[in-house]
Amino acid sequence: MGQTLHTLRTAGTVARLEWQLEWRQGHQLAAVGLFAIASVYVAFQASDQHTGAAAWTAMLWLVHLFSGFTAIGRLFDRERSNVRRYLQWSAEPLGLMLGKLFHAVLTTTALTAVVLGAFLLFLGWPQGIESPGKPGLLVLGAWLGGLSMTTTLVFVSAVASQVRNGSGALAAVLGLPLLLPQLILATRLTRGALSDEPWVMLVEYPVFLGALGAGTATIACILFPYIWRA
Amino acid sequence: MNAILLLNSLEGFFFGSGKAHVVTGVALIILAGIAVSLWRMDRRLSQLEKESRSDKS
Amino acid sequence: MKGRWNWFWKGGSVLLLTYVVVRGFCTPLQPGLVSATPSQLSVAPQVVDLVAVGQPFATSEDLPASFDVVLRSGDQLIRTDVVAITPHSVRIQIDVPPTMPSRALDAYLFTPASGTLFLGNACFVEDAAKGDVPPEFSASAPDPQEPDLGFSFPYQPNIMESIRNLLWHVPMWFAMFFIMGLGFVASLAQLRTDSIGWDMRAEAAVKTGLVFGLLGLATGSLWARWTWGAWWVSDPQLNGALVTVLLYSGYLVLRSAMGDDDRVGRLAAVYNVFAFVMLVILLMVLPRYTESLHPGKDGNPGFNSYDLDNSLRAVFYPAVIGWGALCYWMYTLRLRMNRCAHHLLSR
Repeated sequence: MGQTLHTLRTAGTVARLEWQLEWRQGHQLAAVGLFAIASVYVAFQASDQHTGAAAWTAMLWLVHLFSGFTAIGRLFDRERSNVRRYLQWSAEPLGLMLGKLFHAVLTTTALTAVVLGAFLLFLGWPQGIESPGKPGLLVLGAWLGGLSMTTTLVFVSAVASQVRNGSGALAAVLGLPLLLPQLILATRLTRGALSDEPWVMLVEYPVFLGALGAGTATIACILFPYIWRA
Repeated sequence: MNAILLLNSLEGFFFGSGKAHVVTGVALIILAGIAVSLWRMDRRLSQLEKESRSDKS
Repeated sequence: MKGRWNWFWKGGSVLLLTYVVVRGFCTPLQPGLVSATPSQLSVAPQVVDLVAVGQPFATSEDLPASFDVVLRSGDQLIRTDVVAITPHSVRIQIDVPPTMPSRALDAYLFTPASGTLFLGNACFVEDAAKGDVPPEFSASAPDPQEPDLGFSFPYQPNIMESIRNLLWHVPMWFAMFFIMGLGFVASLAQLRTDSIGWDMRAEAAVKTGLVFGLLGLATGSLWARWTWGAWWVSDPQLNGALVTVLLYSGYLVLRSAMGDDDRVGRLAAVYNVFAFVMLVILLMVLPRYTESLHPGKDGNPGFNSYDLDNSLRAVFYPAVIGWGALCYWMYTLRLRMNRCAHHLLSR
């Protein structure tokens, strides 16, 4: 019991620390937001306002995917330096991982809002669709899809941060194949929600997305202490 | 119609003209090649292991 | 003693695979109907050719009178006359009735030696009215015959001769699962003991497993081209297979990126455990709950829906054992190679 409480307290401290550092080094947060909005604007210019539902979905998830990479891929970068040495001595690995995960969830939530908002602002709904059939499900799908990508990315960037030279490209190589299932589920969900498919057809996608996200988060928590002790 | 032509061409190709035996032969040669190379590798590794064992002692 | 046992299973795997190749390629396929021409019929007397593949269902001496063809519309049967017969086709004369329960007709061919051949939706009658088949057109089903086809592979529509791929594609994936499972166990042991021996085992297992995964993808792609008409289709099972292979390639990338860092064993083990869990989720769990073209999503992958008959089984099981043993042999070679390299480097 005491152990659990201690872990949770560590998690809270780490999450708070992350958040404070994030605001203090505001340029990194701004960089991610800028990346997302600029990507959406490129998509807007490239599509020339004649975007079908399939292309709209593809662009949405490409932007979401790479914004997620820039936001989460550097999650363990700070641990390369002196901060890491301090954390390694003082913090318990599981609490650290939970804290990072919590921080990643917050970041992803904000990122989803920014990406989706920018998409609607610039591109609007895809051509031929006045308003989406299930707007709630669309938003939920974007959020859940982002979350289940994030938990995988947290694990991958934790692994990549242990490699001495060049973690950015390595995280991409390790992460992209792992993200394929989530992306497939998420794009199908988005397309279904846009074209108002019946609930029976769609309900499995959020369930799978949630399960994949929770599953990868669990494995990450179990395995993280082994990475950290190394 | 196209599909039917394709089907029958396979039938004619595979069994009608006795190509099944050619396929079997080629597959057997490939299998023999794999087996021989694995066997040679096995022999060489045994030799290396023997050398390294005598090294240690 | 140990040496003799080694040569027994290594040689045995090669012998088994030799048997699989010979039996797998030289066994004839049971006959099956593939098409009816013309498939569009109208209400009038006309001639239709039914074409079969596989081993011949008739000899040139057989008489047309000993064959029966019956068309089924809904739950009623329509009479036909067999006009001519060749080893791979039968020509029938049919008087299409003006009324029938369903416009789509299934064909049954009753043969003396090869049993009953079936072709679903063989013909379509555009101008028939809905109703019962008039009695002068209807037929009663002949008694089914016990076929005696000898050692032959079952006919499956669409799959046909390519059913032989079952002896390559499926055992290769089984071998991959087996060796990746071994690597998973080795990685768990590595995390527990932190010893270089387990790390070498895991690395050898992943490298060997990747070879079989790639072979499984290649044979599967070939099969997809034949049965589904495309080299690759978007399907849960196929996506899972591709992701798995990419995932394990990532393992090798991770190892080579680490170089000679002494933490490589532990980190690779962590990644390998993660990869195997994903493999199980992607290949064994997810495809069962989503729609898939790939057979066997409810049961062992690739198993049930092929209703393996005894002759196929007699080749399939040796194939599984043979490929598994060959895979294990390759794994041991890789492992010994790793050990020798380690020994040389640490000298």
